Amino acid sequence: MNPFALLLTSLAISVVGAFASLLAARHEATAIRLAGLAGGLAGAAGLAAGLAALTGPVAVLDVVGPMPFARFVLRLDPLSGLMVAVISGLALVASLYSLAYVREYAGRGVGPMGFFMNLFIASMILVVVADNAFWFLVFFEMMSLASYFLVIFDQDDEAVSAGFLYFLVAHAGSVAIMAAFYLMADAAGSFDFAAFRAHPLQGTAASVAFLLGLVGFGAKAGMIPLHIWLPRAHPAAPSHASALMSGVMIKIGVFGIVKVAIDLLGGGVVWWGLLVLALGAISSVLGVVYALAEHDIKKLLAYHSVENVGIILLGVGTGMIGLASGQPLVAVLGLMAGLYHLVNHAVFKGLLFLGAGSVIYRMHTKDMEEMGGLAKTMPWTSLSFLVGALAISAIPPLNGFVSEWYTYQALFAAAFDGTFLVRFSTPIAATLLALTGALAVMCFVKAYGVIFSGAPRSHHAAEAREVPATMVAAMLLLAAACVALGLAAPLVAPVLGSVAAATLHLPAVTFADGAILLPGDAGRAVLSTPLIALLLLGLAALPMLLAAVFAVGRRIPRTTAAPWACGYLPDGHMTVSAGSFAQPIRMFFAPLYAIRRSADGAAADLGHGFDGFVCRARRSESLFDRSLVAPVEDAVARFGRRSQIIQGGDFRIYCLYIVAALVALLLVTLR
Amino acid sequence: MPSFAQLLVAVVQVLVLVAAAPLVSGFMRVLRAKMHTRHGPGPLQDYRDLFKLMKRQDLRPPASGFVFKIMPIVMPAALMVVAMGTPILTRATPIPAIGDLITTIYLFALARFFFALSGIDSGSSFAGVGASRELTLGVLVEPVMLLSLFVAALLAGSTNLGEIGAAVADGRMHSAAATLLAGCAFAFACYVELGKLPYDMAEAEQELQEGPLTEYSGPSLALIKWSMSLKQLLVVAWFIGVFLPFGNAADTSLPALALAFVVFVVKVVAIFFAVGIVENSVARARFRLTPRHSWLGVGVASLAFVFYLAGL
Amino acid sequence: MIDLALATILLPVLGAVLIALAPQPAAKSICRFFAGLALLSVLYLAYGFAAGGKVATERAFITLGDVEIVGFAVDTVSVLVAVAVVAIGFLVAIYSGGYFDVGNREHADIGRRRFWAFLLVFIGAMAGLVFTSTLVGQLVFFEITGACSWALIGYYEKPKALASALKALIITHIASIGLYVAASVLFLDTGTFSLSAIAQLPTGAKTVVMLAILVAAWGKSAQLPFHMWLPDAMEAPTPVSAYLHAASMVKVGVYIFARALMSSGGTPEIVGWVGTIMAVVTLVYGFVMYLPQADLKRLLAYSTITQLAYIFLGLSLSVFGSDLAFKGAIAHIFNHAFAKTLFFLIAGSLSYTAGTRMLPVLRGILAKSPVIGIGFTVAALAITGVPPFSGFFSKFAIFAGGFRVADAHPALMILVVVALLESVGSFAWFLKWVGWSVPGKPSETMAAAAPLPASMRLVLIVLIVMAVCSSFVATAWLG
Repeated sequence: MNPFALLLTSLAISVVGAFASLLAARHEATAIRLAGLAGGLAGAAGLAAGLAALTGPVAVLDVVGPMPFARFVLRLDPLSGLMVAVISGLALVASLYSLAYVREYAGRGVGPMGFFMNLFIASMILVVVADNAFWFLVFFEMMSLASYFLVIFDQDDEAVSAGFLYFLVAHAGSVAIMAAFYLMADAAGSFDFAAFRAHPLQGTAASVAFLLGLVGFGAKAGMIPLHIWLPRAHPAAPSHASALMSGVMIKIGVFGIVKVAIDLLGGGVVWWGLLVLALGAISSVLGVVYALAEHDIKKLLAYHSVENVGIILLGVGTGMIGLASGQPLVAVLGLMAGLYHLVNHAVFKGLLFLGAGSVIYRMHTKDMEEMGGLAKTMPWTSLSFLVGALAISAIPPLNGFVSEWYTYQALFAAAFDGTFLVRFSTPIAATLLALTGALAVMCFVKAYGVIFSGAPRSHHAAEAREVPATMVAAMLLLAAACVALGLAAPLVAPVLGSVAAATLHLPAVTFADGAILLPGDAGRAVLSTPLIALLLLGLAALPMLLAAVFAVGRRIPRTTAAPWACGYLPDGHMTVSAGSFAQPIRMFFAPLYAIRRSADGAAADLGHGFDGFVCRARRSESLFDRSLVAPVEDAVARFGRRSQIIQGGDFRIYCLYIVAALVALLLVTLR
Repeated sequence: MPSFAQLLVAVVQVLVLVAAAPLVSGFMRVLRAKMHTRHGPGPLQDYRDLFKLMKRQDLRPPASGFVFKIMPIVMPAALMVVAMGTPILTRATPIPAIGDLITTIYLFALARFFFALSGIDSGSSFAGVGASRELTLGVLVEPVMLLSLFVAALLAGSTNLGEIGAAVADGRMHSAAATLLAGCAFAFACYVELGKLPYDMAEAEQELQEGPLTEYSGPSLALIKWSMSLKQLLVVAWFIGVFLPFGNAADTSLPALALAFVVFVVKVVAIFFAVGIVENSVARARFRLTPRHSWLGVGVASLAFVFYLAGL
Repeated sequence: MIDLALATILLPVLGAVLIALAPQPAAKSICRFFAGLALLSVLYLAYGFAAGGKVATERAFITLGDVEIVGFAVDTVSVLVAVAVVAIGFLVAIYSGGYFDVGNREHADIGRRRFWAFLLVFIGAMAGLVFTSTLVGQLVFFEITGACSWALIGYYEKPKALASALKALIITHIASIGLYVAASVLFLDTGTFSLSAIAQLPTGAKTVVMLAILVAAWGKSAQLPFHMWLPDAMEAPTPVSAYLHAASMVKVGVYIFARALMSSGGTPEIVGWVGTIMAVVTLVYGFVMYLPQADLKRLLAYSTITQLAYIFLGLSLSVFGSDLAFKGAIAHIFNHAFAKTLFFLIAGSLSYTAGTRMLPVLRGILAKSPVIGIGFTVAALAITGVPPFSGFFSKFAIFAGGFRVADAHPALMILVVVALLESVGSFAWFLKWVGWSVPGKPSETMAAAAPLPASMRLVLIVLIVMAVCSSFVATAWLG
């Protein structure tokens, strides 16, 4: 089917669903179902459209819009097709999840929630296919607006404050992007992206435009140091909205960086890629270090999004370096690694947020310290969360490992021959990636362990039950996708490779050969995730066999042996908690945490300075009145009082005035 | 897909390592006893211990869940996959698709993930602290490993372990100083990974009561103890395969393999002898001060990197 | 066509005369009726104009010899602005019917005939100003609007209100010196008062005329240094503030400047520089003055000052050759009129229902009255320029034009960047107040609020819809 037809159908369903949900606001069950159904159908249609566009030719839809200076142009090329597929896929799963999850918000406006969710999804899809700068900005801001209302949905002080910070950073970012587009439009003569591509900016102007775009889109992506809104906004929103925000919205930030740097400005110079690489490396390390210190589960996941955006940017940065230094293999490999991690992160972060949402649905708290032992009472949730945790820690043979492997290979390839700076920074970036990986393992062992393992730490935890079937189904779908994207990597990698090659306008690179993955050149390295999976399962048989051989005569396992506590009776407080588990890292990486503390201190100082400024503004408000109006009034009054002397009161003086005037006039006329 | 000969070599490798692992820990025990001027149990003691444990009952804490149950299966499986991919008897990795340095590091991470998680799952405070320390050590050690291996890989032109080993054996590394330094850094990282004094943080015999192993018993404990000795042997084999590949078979012919096996045994014994001497001469490093040690590793690896960049 | 324009101007005046003769209870209905008639007339005019292919026509009305003193012209821009002005006048008339009521918590009142009569006269005078084609005509209507504004601001007859009314009148009257100077110079050089004659002036005289008109415009539109009357004029009843100080009187200034630019056939660049610099200075000053405000109406007054500065910025940038900036400025006149009226009427609704318009005590509006809460949010978003609401589209055009001309004149880039930064700052400030006032639990004052009358609610809903649609209407009209 024509991909545009599918895409427009998807958008139409979203919009209709949004308004239907709003109109049905009184009947909450109907509203929830309408919103979920619309989201699901729109997601399915969009997914089909995106997948069709991945390999197909570039399709463009060009109509005259209401604004004469900006034509309404939509473009489905492989990159936007990929983004549409990712957004729609996750929207489909999140809508399935919402059918049961949104019941938690009954009485607090589920109609408006469905309205904003569907508009959010529609605006995200429109952003990635828009091919005109004006409409891009319109949909970009609408996306932020819709998600703003989702963030402040709880309407408590923290949510409103988080929403304010979020929207402010998003809006400031979009103003920066607008400025970049203006610069590009001046050179191109119109606002169409096609015109930008045909007349790219050169020299300093191009670098200025790139930096503005990096700031604007980086703020949306949650790149350090523009990430301050992420850890507050994502936890405040409802979980299926957080899944979408963390899973796809921040990817639109990365998409924007790729679009500006590679698509519109044509690749630019090497230092652009190095800058992106550096920011990616810093984001990944700081993101995971800060995540380790959290015991609010959603804040932990939000910081992990910062980390993963950093990893994606490592790939994208390497791709840009390759493009600018004329190394096609490095370019395609780097961008492909970034795109693969983008897809993977959408899947496993969505899964983790939905899992967190399920836990919060039953526990009514976000604090990990109050959970524990949920694996026994919520088996499906814990299984899905475990798969997500393994995937995000890049454990083979799941999908996270494959994209990180490709990122390492991209960095390796770039370190071979490039400028000195490139050869210097890529191995350092790889080392930082390894550090990130190890920290991520620690963080997710902690997260999974504290929430699902051990003994329940509170009353609620002991009494939790499994969540409704639709929520379980949604999570299992994503868990299956994690496994599939990992094991079927030999099928997925070439497709993503072709997307990367098409975006860079470079020839395609071989990424797979049968069941083997390779980074363009089999001599470099090879990997086979299906083989690893097979071997793991196969070799697991050996220990089981051994245990079985010796099982004859052995008594059955007993589960009544309390853990050893030095002779004391063990107690719930003795087990490891979220805070204590991560304490060594907090100790060893103290300087990094100190950066955050000093930034908070600086923010407080700024706040005081601002209050002082407002005081002075208040005092100067009447400045014009005091210095301009009042003196004039006084002067007029004084003049009036002085001239009152003329009004003598005695009519004889007035007669004298008349005579004097007559005499004066006669003298004048006689002259 | 690997050829039949390669697959056979891989399987043989695994079986040999698995069978020999308790012998290695037995050897270390004998060495320690001799250094303490004790008689000590013989080198085959660990086999006897394992057989005895296999026949015992499996006790589990009431709080434990399915992670606690499956860890004794997952950990050895992961380690055995690593064993299949490391170049031990041959120059090339038996199965290139799993013989990549990144894959190896992350497979070890798989083992570590479940090892630590089971510690929390047991509900015991000692196990939890041990798990935390185990992961922290991973954080301190993995970057050093990666950087040193990356430098070696850059010099060799591939991230495949066999390729690097072959490059070292053939003398194709054009910066001997960088290779040497990288080897030293990697050796240091491997020593930490071995979990021997002064870095046996997770177990910390005296106060943490063997760390994540605390609550295991019976066949589960047997499998885990066996996996831990296998891991130690594997780490050393990894180091030998990359930086000391001299004597490995260049093809899969029987005489070459036999020779390679003998050379391997000699190398392993020599290294474990050195490890044993170091281990029994020091006390455990204070946990809080471990980063100072790991900075040393980072420093040496960075020096290797600088030498590589400078082309010296 | 011109006849319809005349009808639009005279019908409201007729209505005012009728109100003077009629008893007080009927005044409200008469006002609404005649405002409605005027609206129908101007809509019919717009329809006819569009159907006829948007051909501009002109007719002289009062001539002395062959000097045209007062005449009327109908063209694209004047029809657009006239529709905005008259439509909002009609909406305000409906709203005031509900507002002037003893149920009003802040100012209980019965709505004396004075108010309705002056409102109608004002609608007529505004239509007159928009359609007139001579400087003298502009001057006449300028002064009429000044007088009506004096009467309306001082409606409550408190000392502060009377003082503010007088201040407004005097300051705008001083500014009107500009129009007197411009009219004189034009007459001396070309012998006619017609606006189209500006194009025939030599450069020196043209600069003088344009700058003089600019000064007059500043006064009426409350730009620096003539801005101090507007915040104090908030003593007026809120419908008056909504109409005069959002939609119409303050638009007089920008409109006469726009008309002058259109008629000038190429303005000297010095006018552009003066306009741009003063616009940006006013912009920054207005923003800084947002910060101490706690009274919603005073905050909106300063917001009006800054939005008008944007319009002046767009118009001045068009001097350097950007047609896009000019169209954006005209569209912004249209968009801002509706959005700011909405915001002022929200303030009025808050006064009516809760008895106060002090923001710190108004919280949780959405929970108590969804229409007011949604209106507050929509108005703030439309004013600060967030799509899909109207303000974004016109602001985008102004900035696009600014960047285009800044390519050729780099010094302009600094000013445009300052304006961009101010836009982000305004957004932050208004978002902060939206976050404070709209969501959450209602504060005491809000919880005790009275319900909103139907007429007020209807007008608010119409304006919320317009806040989304007005930019599409404007751009479709301007082409």
